[in-house]
Parts: sequence; structure tokens; C-alpha cells
Amino acid sequence: MFLLSAMVWVPAIGALALLFFPARTQAQIGRVRNVALATAAFTAALGVVMWYGYRDQSGTYAYEEARTWLPSIGASYHLGVDGISMSLLLLSGIVFLVAVLVANRIRENVKGFFILLLVLETGVGGALTALDFVLFFTFWQMQVLPLCFLVGRWGGARRLAAAWKLLAVEMIGSALLLLGILILYVKAPTHTFDLATLHNLQVPGSVAGLVFALFFIAFALRLPVFPFHTWFTDAQGEAAAPVAIVLAGIVTKLGAYGLYRVNVGQFQATLHRVSGAVAVLAVVTVLWGALAAFREDDLRRLVGYLVMSHGGLLVLAVASAAPVALNGGVLLMVADGLTAAMLIVLASTVAERVNTRSIRAMGGLAARLPKGAVLWMLGALAALGLPGLAGFVGQFLILLGSYPSHRLATSLVVLGSLLTAAVTLWTFQRIFFGPVNEAYARVRDFGTLDLGTSVGLFCLIVLLGILPAILMDSINFSVLTLLSRGGG
Amino acid sequence: MTLTLLAAAARGPLDSWSPTFIALLALLLPLIAILLIVSFTIDSKRLSAGTAVLFTFASTVCALLVLAIEIAHPLHLEREGTFLQFFTGQSGAAAEFILKWGVTADPLSAVMLITVAAVSLAVQLYALGSMRRDDGVIRFFTVLLFSTFAMFGFVLSTSYFETFLFGALGTVSSYLLISHWWQREEAVTSGARAFIVSAIGDVGFLIAIAYIAFRFNQLNFQALAGHYTSGKVGSNGLFLVALLIFVAAAAKSAQFPFHVWLPGSAQAPAPAAALMHSSTVAVTGVYLVARTYSLFSSSPRALLVVATIGGLTALLGTIWSLFQDNLKRAIAYATMGELGLMMLALGIRGYGGGVFELFTQAWPKALLFLAAGVVIRELRTEQMREMGGLFRRMRFTGTLALIGLAAAAGLPPLSTFWGKDAILSRALAKGNPVWIVLVTLVIFLMALSLFRIFALVFLGETARRRRFEPDRIRDARGRVALAMVLLAIPSVLVGIRGFPRHSDFLGFVALRGVPLANSHFWAAAIVAVVSLLGAAVAWAIYVRRMLPAFAPGLEPARAAFRHGLYLDRAYQVGVDRGLLPASRALGWVDRRVIDGGTDLLRDSIVFASSPRGRLPRLRPQQFALGLFVGLLGLAAVIILVGAHLIKGLGA
Repeated sequence: MFLLSAMVWVPAIGALALLFFPARTQAQIGRVRNVALATAAFTAALGVVMWYGYRDQSGTYAYEEARTWLPSIGASYHLGVDGISMSLLLLSGIVFLVAVLVANRIRENVKGFFILLLVLETGVGGALTALDFVLFFTFWQMQVLPLCFLVGRWGGARRLAAAWKLLAVEMIGSALLLLGILILYVKAPTHTFDLATLHNLQVPGSVAGLVFALFFIAFALRLPVFPFHTWFTDAQGEAAAPVAIVLAGIVTKLGAYGLYRVNVGQFQATLHRVSGAVAVLAVVTVLWGALAAFREDDLRRLVGYLVMSHGGLLVLAVASAAPVALNGGVLLMVADGLTAAMLIVLASTVAERVNTRSIRAMGGLAARLPKGAVLWMLGALAALGLPGLAGFVGQFLILLGSYPSHRLATSLVVLGSLLTAAVTLWTFQRIFFGPVNEAYARVRDFGTLDLGTSVGLFCLIVLLGILPAILMDSINFSVLTLLSRGGG
Repeated sequence: MTLTLLAAAARGPLDSWSPTFIALLALLLPLIAILLIVSFTIDSKRLSAGTAVLFTFASTVCALLVLAIEIAHPLHLEREGTFLQFFTGQSGAAAEFILKWGVTADPLSAVMLITVAAVSLAVQLYALGSMRRDDGVIRFFTVLLFSTFAMFGFVLSTSYFETFLFGALGTVSSYLLISHWWQREEAVTSGARAFIVSAIGDVGFLIAIAYIAFRFNQLNFQALAGHYTSGKVGSNGLFLVALLIFVAAAAKSAQFPFHVWLPGSAQAPAPAAALMHSSTVAVTGVYLVARTYSLFSSSPRALLVVATIGGLTALLGTIWSLFQDNLKRAIAYATMGELGLMMLALGIRGYGGGVFELFTQAWPKALLFLAAGVVIRELRTEQMREMGGLFRRMRFTGTLALIGLAAAAGLPPLSTFWGKDAILSRALAKGNPVWIVLVTLVIFLMALSLFRIFALVFLGETARRRRFEPDRIRDARGRVALAMVLLAIPSVLVGIRGFPRHSDFLGFVALRGVPLANSHFWAAAIVAVVSLLGAAVAWAIYVRRMLPAFAPGLEPARAAFRHGLYLDRAYQVGVDRGLLPASRALGWVDRRVIDGGTDLLRDSIVFASSPRGRLPRLRPQQFALGLFVGLLGLAAVIILVGAHLIKGLGA
């Protein structure tokens, strides 16, 4: 089977091909766009094929590929997906497709933008499918530079500062990650980088704590968990809309994926020992994100805080390490990726129409943007976890699953989700309701592209909300496998 | 009568139909209507409204069938929704954990179903006339349908989970209804307030659900009913769960101190307000307590809390209503009193009485809001001091409003008289003078406040104000009038108890293990006398102007009550002084401390990569701070690693 390799490398090949396209005239730029779109669409289609062909199984990985690669150090080219990574890979395809679709606002250096975006997609896909730590780290590194350039080159006025901050955090994260991988390699009973083999091995307890901490911090930086979140909100505020979508939609979810794959899968005993501290971190992240959002005037940054708040819920699921909560966590990752993408599309469109990101300057826009108002309402409901939409399934299962082990933390997190709901609603009202502002008398309603992408995303959110089983059963198998250590 | 006829009819071929199937149909019809409107008739006001009314009518027919079958065979039946299941847990060890939705058909749900369906139908008929010229008619009808759907789901739900789900949908629908006129600042604020208060209740509800799932591994009402007292959870645990659920119920049903959203919700267009206050969001809390009554009845302390809060709410609501000048708000506060009375009834184990009151008060309450809508539309004001003497000009509306008021106040033999009679009977049977006095007082105050409204609006002198021409007032006609008549008939009739053989409503909805309250002769007499007395006092004070001598002394209290004891303002201050400053402080910490720390990291990386270029430009403070943080980090790493090494050595 070459399906996973295809999914991972098709975007890179597309990026490579784009190098040879000239981009001087408008027609040529249009051609560049179309190539990028075709690549992203093809990858997303491969993702759907992968999802369709996926069969529930416990213990093994689907579409596994293993080739020798650096055998001398115990590394190999080993790809494979389980229910967890399969769901996220599917999400990745969709999110990148949306990003390429809404990238038509990018005017300068279009070619460079798409090349970086597609390289980033390869990095994301690779990190999700890699079953080997060397491979995983390589793909992880492959994300850092494109991300940094994408934020720093295209975006708002303070984009350079945001890019530097992102780079700093990413560098630290990568260093910790590398350190963790190396210690694990040295200390594990068998010298191997293979994730599936390591999963069944017992790491000595004294090392486990350290390695756990290294991995945890590396992934928490990405998620982002309090107090490492400012790079994320800055990037959300400054980056161009497609970059922000990719960042909030899938790149940060990789942090949660790492926590699942390594911290839950590899170091359960350690996790149980420190789960109290992890839960505290989760609660602080949820409450911080929700509270800070109240006073945030920048619409784009506000969406960033909401995404951060949901990231805290994922950490809570990790802290509980209960099957139901972990199931909910994976579903919330997918749901939140879709919701964040939708909200960012809407937020950036609104900001572009009224030429400001300040919420205070908006108001009464429902008269000018009726379609936008309806869509934003739907997006807000998805974000606050209305039953029937995808976010609810995830949040509800997380709360239900983590309640037995962390009762106080869960109660506080529920409170946090109340705050999130309040701030989401309030933001909606401040943008759209109230007296009609005459300054915006000539603002046009949403265009076809924005409508199309956000309606499409919302349809997916509804589908996942009323039929979670399309992913749920596969996820459940894999979560249970993750929690059962084969080798003991 | 109708019920008897239907019950007789149900003995035919209907018996073989499953009532749950019909109930499921009733639930899905509004949803189908929404889909039809959104996909096909979104451009036509007439077609959309017509579709809505048609489908609601079909739902009402289904609800009647369910009721008829249930009267013939009062069974508790459940049907699992066979599609769109949530978390079937078919795989692996999480299999014990299942989340499903389904439909319950039992007497309680059947009674509620027909109430919601019929009121919704009447309200939509009214809206056909009154909302004709509104810009958002289609939106309005869609949301009305959605609200009906959510309430159907809530009523028919089989488990805590499903109740939560549909409750949240109901909250959203009420938010959309209240802020229907989104250009008005007040409507928008009220809508948000309703949403937030309900969401606060949902927090309690979610924690309760998590606790129940954790302890009993089961969320189904019927399966849990016998298990509360099985000893899995101690009395403290039961009390806690019941309390959390009561928080949800109180937030939804506007119990003190969560009542703040109710007065503002009158900002919704009249038909929506009628629907919400009589049979959807406002009564969900009462229904929730009734539905989970086996939980509450297993914890006497929880019942005491329910009764106390209910009594307080009833008293405050009726008193507040007495001091309101805004017509809609006055009725809304009367609703609050009514809701408190129902809670009080449930709290003193008057299950039948509470549910009966829930059923009987829906009709007059909806009628009152619709009548108020007609008055407000014609006079273009909501202030009662600008009204008066309308009875001569609006005989039809006036008569119907009088019927509604009398029925809501509990004048014999109209609908809520029987409900209040049942509640007072229960209080008398319980024998505790506190409850007896409280119930009597509430009934008196409610009659007083309701008839005050009638006196101020319809009797007395015609108000004079600028640009107001009393001769141009027109009475309700057409669909508006038809809708009001449709509600007036049950307002008069539904209370009547004692059909041959299927005799008693209270017996019909009775719950196992909860004592039935037989009607007490004294109770009926007291309710009749007290409510008539209330009406008479209202007449004396507000029409004859026979103010008691101590009236001027009450002025400060009056002012305080008019502002709802300043609770609204307290909440507002809480948000302004607590939440927003906290948020601002966090923002400051984000920018100055955390961001500063991240910036430091960034700077040190830049610094490390180009030492000679950057060094001179670094301020000494920055350098010192960087050094300090670096040392701190280093120390932390050394301690962590060292501790592990030492631990390793020890082992």
C-alpha cells in the first residue's frame, strides 16, 4: 500500500512542481493557484479514500508501510495510522483545502506562499502518520520553518514579531522533543526508534518521569497550554487568514496528538502520578483562555483564545486517561479544527469588509451582512458546543469521562465552558446586533467563496454532531489499544 | 369532554399503534417543516408561515392521539431512536457506556406534549396575523418551530442526557426569540441574559449528569427510578445531585435568584413570549423536577429546598408584579409567581398538584400574553399608566383578557382553580401551617396583581397623551381573534376533573410511591374565597381608588420592588466589577509577564545567533533579567534531573 506515502508526499511534490511555474502575469498566478488547489483537493480526496477503506482493528495500524531507512541506528521509514491519526489526517486534508481556497486574498508572492503551505502540509501529514521517532522528528521540523515564514511574510503589521516569537517557541519545543527522543532511545531496553515497538516496552521508572516531562512540555508548547500561549494568540492576530486556519485547525492539534501518542500511550504510569498537575494545567488553560477572551478587542485574537480554551479540554482528557474522555478528545480535536477554520474564515471576512479587527468599532452589521450574521451565529453555536453539533459530542464525552478521576477540575472546566459560551455569544452580539452603524452603509455581504467554504465546514460539523459514529468507533478501538500496553 | 371522546375512540384500531411512534412523529414534524422552509420556501413569507402552521397542526393531531392512547392505557413506553445514535459503544471496553436518544410516552409526557403542541399552534395562528408586516417573519416562524421541536424533545426525552441536549436547544431558541428585534439594545441584552442564566443552570446539570453516570453508569430515567435509594449513593450524594439538578431547573424556570432573565424575556414578540412563558422554556424547569421526581422524593432535604425556593419565588414574583408599570413585565412576573407555586407544590410532595397546575396555567398565560400583544400593538406603548378605559373600545380583547386573568387567578370554576385547589389540598394534608399560609397568600396576591392589570388597562378613564387617538383603536380580528378564542376555550375547560371512569387527572399522572392529594373541601372553599377576595381588593384599590391609609408609607418599598430589589443591577455590577476587570488583569499578565517571558526567549535566541551585533543594543536590565531567568531555568533542570538520579541511586 502506498496510500499513506501518497498522502504525505503529494503536497511536497505539488510544491516541487510549483517551483517550475512562472508567476509573473495574472494568468500565470491563476495557474499557480489552480495547481495548489488541485494538490490540496487530491490530498483531501485521498484522505476520504483512506477513511472509507479504514477497518476497525485493535493492536495494529492500518495502511502500514515499513521500509528500511538508517538501519544502523534502529530507525526505519515506518508509516501507519490508527483511528486517532486517521481522524486527524482527514481533518488535515480538509483544513488545508479550506486554507488554499481562502488564500485568494493573498496578493504578493503567491507562488512562495503556496509552496510553503504545501510543504507544511507534508510536515503535518508526516508527523501524523510516522511510527518512528526519527521520522516523526523530521516531519515535525519540516513544519517549523514554513510556519515561521508563512506568519512572518504574509499578514498584519506586527507579523514579524509574531513570527520571531513562534520560531523561538518552536525551537525550544523541538530541542526538548529531540532530547526526549534521545534519552528514550538510550534508556529503553531495546535500542529502537520504532513507536509501535516502544509502545510495548517498559521504560525504567526513573527515566520515565524526565522523558515524560520533556515530551509533555514540547507538545504543550504547541497545543498551546498556559503559560506558553502568547505566541499562538499573536500569530492568530497577525497571520494571514489561511495561515491562521492551518495553525488553529491542525498544527496546534498536533500537540494534542503528541500528548496522546507519547504521553498517554508510552508513559501511562507516569501520567497517573502527575495527573493532578496536568489537570490543574488544563483548568488554568481553559479558564485563562475564556477569561482573557472577554476583554480582547481584536476579533482574530479572540478566536485564538477560544481555540486555546478548547485546547485545555484536550489536556483534561489526557489527564484523566479514561477511554470515554480520550474518545471525546479526539472528536473535539476534529470538531474544533473545523470550527476554528470556520470562525477564522468568518472573522477575517468580517474584518476585511469593515476594514478593522476591533470589535468595538463594529456593531449592527446584521443589517449589512445578513448571511454573514447567520453563518457567524452557526459558527458561534458550534464553538460553544451546542448539542447536535460536533463540538458538543467531544466536550460532553470529555466531561463525562474525566469526572470520576478529577471531579473538581471537571466542574471548573464546565464553568470555563460556560464562560466560553458567554464570550462567544457576546462577541456575536457586539459585531452584528445593536443600532445599525451608518459608517458601514456600503459594506457588501459575504461572497460566494466565503459562503461556500463556511457552509461546507458547517455541514461537516453538523454531520459529525449527529453521526459521530462515523469516526467514533474507529477512535474507540485505537484509544483502547493505546491504553493497553501489550508488553506490560 | 374531548378527552373522554378521544379516549373512547382510542379503544378502536388505535390501540395497535404504538404511542411512542406517534410521539416520535410529533417530534420530527417541526424539524421537517424547518428543513422544508429553509430549502424551498425561504423566499415566500406566506408559504413559509403556512408550512409552519400546517406541520404544527399535524404535530398537534399526533399529540392528541398520544394523549388519547395514554388515557386508554396509561403505560410507560419507550422507543429508542433507531437512527443517529450518539455513542453506541459497540466497540471494546467502553461498551458499558452508552448514550442514546429515544422517545417516552407516558401520561406526564402526553399531557405536556399536547399542551406544547396546541399552544404552539395557537401562537403561530396569532403570528400569522400580528407578524405579517415584520421583516423577519420567516426567521420568526423557523425559530418558533425550532423552539417547539426542542420542547417536544425535552418533554419526550428518556434520559438525563437527552434532556440536557434538548434543553440546550431550547435555550438557543429562546435566545433567538427574545432578541428577535435585534436592533433594540434591550432585546439583545435580555436575550443574552436568558442564555447565560440558562447556561449557568446547564453547568449544574452537566456536573449532575457526570456524577450520575459515574455512580450509576446509567442515565435513563426509568432505569434509574428505583435505583436512587438502592444504597449506591448516600443521602448526601443524592441531596447533592438533586440540588445540582434543581439549579438547572431553577435557572430554566426562573426561580429566585435566577429569575433575572424572565422579565426581560417579555421583549420577545407577543406570540413568542406567550409560547415561552406558558409552555416552553419557562416551564422546562418544573417539568425537569417532575420528570426526575423519584430522585427528589428520595431526598427530603432536596424537597425542602425546592419548596422553600419555590415559595420565595412565588411570593416575590407576585409582589413584583404588583409594582410593575410595564404591561408585559407585569404578566411576566405573574408567570414567575406561578412557576414558584408549581415548584412549591412539587416540594411539598404535591406531585399531582404541581403537574396539574403546569398543565392548567399554560392556556390562560398564553392567552394573556396574546391579549397584551393586541393592546400594545394598538396603543404603541407598554406602560400601563398610558392605558385605561380600553374595555369600551376593545370589547372582544377585553372579554378574552378577563377570561384569561380569571382563569390564571384561579377563580372558580376556571382552569387553574383546580390546580390551586389540588396544591392547597396537599398543603392542608401535610398540615404544616407555613405552607398553608404561603400557598393562600400567593393565591391572594396573584389574584390581586392580575386583576390590577385588568383594572389599569381596561377600566377607568381613557388615558390621554400626545398623538394618541383613541378612536382609531381597532379590536382584534381574523386570525388573531381566532387564536385567542382557541386558547380561551381550554382556559375555561381544562381544569375540570372527574370524567367517568378515567376519572382523575391527578390519578392519571400519578407517580408510584408519591401520595396522591385528594381534593379537600376546605381547600376548594379557601381558594375560591381568597381569589375572589384578591379580585375584589384589586377592584377597590385600582378602580375605586380606595387606597389604604398606609399606602404612602410604602413608597420606598415600592421603588425597591419596581426595580426587582436591584438584583439585576447587582448582577450587572458583578459582571462589570468582577468579570471584566479580572479579564483585563489576565490580559495585562498576558502582555507584560507571559509575553515578556516569551519575548525574552526570542531575544536570547536572536542574541545567541548574532552576539556581536546585538550585544551593545541590549539594555542592562534586560541582560540581568535574562541572566536571572536563565539561571532559574538551569536550576530547575538540575533539580529535576538530580532528583531523578538520586531516586535512581536509592533504588
